[in-house]
Amino acid sequence: MVSTAMFLLSGLLIGLAMGWSLQRGRFCINSAYREVLFQDYTMIRAYLLAVAVAIIGANLFEDMGWLMSNDGTGAMVAGPLYRQAFVPWANIIGGYIFGMGIVLAGGCGSGILYRVGEGNLAYVLAVCGFFFGIVITKFGFLKPVYNWMIAEERVVWVGEDTVPTLYNVIGVNKWIVIAIICAVLLYFVFQGKPFTKAKKGYSWSLAGLLIGIVAVLAFWASAYYGGRARGLSFTGPVREFFLAVFFGDSKAPATESMSLLGITFSWSSLYVLAVPFGAYISGKLLQEVKLKVPPADELLKVLLGGFVMGVGAQIGGGCNIGHSLTGVATLAVSSWVANIFIILGNWTMVYFLLIKPMQDMDV
Amino acid sequence: MALKDEAPAQTLDTLGRVCPYPLLLTKKAVEKLSSGQVLKVLCDAPASAEDSIPRYCEKSGFGFESVKLADKWELFIKKP
Repeated sequence: MVSTAMFLLSGLLIGLAMGWSLQRGRFCINSAYREVLFQDYTMIRAYLLAVAVAIIGANLFEDMGWLMSNDGTGAMVAGPLYRQAFVPWANIIGGYIFGMGIVLAGGCGSGILYRVGEGNLAYVLAVCGFFFGIVITKFGFLKPVYNWMIAEERVVWVGEDTVPTLYNVIGVNKWIVIAIICAVLLYFVFQGKPFTKAKKGYSWSLAGLLIGIVAVLAFWASAYYGGRARGLSFTGPVREFFLAVFFGDSKAPATESMSLLGITFSWSSLYVLAVPFGAYISGKLLQEVKLKVPPADELLKVLLGGFVMGVGAQIGGGCNIGHSLTGVATLAVSSWVANIFIILGNWTMVYFLLIKPMQDMDV
Repeated sequence: MALKDEAPAQTLDTLGRVCPYPLLLTKKAVEKLSSGQVLKVLCDAPASAEDSIPRYCEKSGFGFESVKLADKWELFIKKP
């Protein structure tokens, strides 16, 4: 059995480690995707390195039987990685909407959380907007649309009830697929001279490596302490965190939750709480924390961006961490498809928000 | 002479702005500079001050210096 203390400690530690690594590495998937359009591949290399580490680590943990979780009776048994069901329309539309939202919000699912720790109040609004978007979609006036999109008849399976993955749809050994993907990723990563040192903070390669490792550890910890190997994600957990704060119940499965003083909260909601603190500690040591606030129009844009992110993430089944890092690592088709559309959404919005206005201004 | 000791032709204030506006505003201001002029940028977004703006300058071949103060960076960019 998992003790209350370890439940709390493990969740908070994963969040602190993530917040620290994100802040030190200036890791931002939003700018990683965006900068590709401007032929700057530094941040995308950090991201792809994290993905390669996460793919290898997560699947190794799965195949070695290290993802132990409570089977409901208190016994710990090895289980699989949690792979998201493939719901094409929801993954495509939700991913695309989410991708547009992160440009407006100036940060992705993890980005807006860790930047709260750096003191920019705009991101507090982004996180609020993100939560509003999620709740409105899951429980509120967008619920009919959401329920229609994820309805059972729209879920695609392999065979009777197997979640499609990159290897089972083509019917080859998982490790062949992993070898090919990682060879391509690492080839691209190593073109970027990963061993040059950063002036301050971490170099992009160290950041990518660390985030990949935290993602793998999170798979293990989420299984062992959190009841299911869902790994790091931010959409569900942000919802669970705020539901616990507002209503005293995360509304997560009992095997993934704990009750303390009458408040029922999920394991994942703990790291949501800890990420800004991890970033704050890192930023404080680098003297980079300062309360600041952008102009009003930018604040509104960020709030709207957070909201759009929330709607997209809830429909699409995840944010840039849940899909683009964790989900991609499980090789689930849903996450690969969603990630592609997150990138396309990002590029669309970058064009309308950043590229086009600048061109118009030059004329 | 170090860039920070030259008289800047313009000072750009990006304090409080969220990513990626510090970089964009900087790009826009640099484009308007004439050759040999220095732009001074005030920035308090770590990722922009330490990563994206220096990388942009390096790639474009602009002179770049940064001074870290208690609560912000002062960036000096010179168009060659």
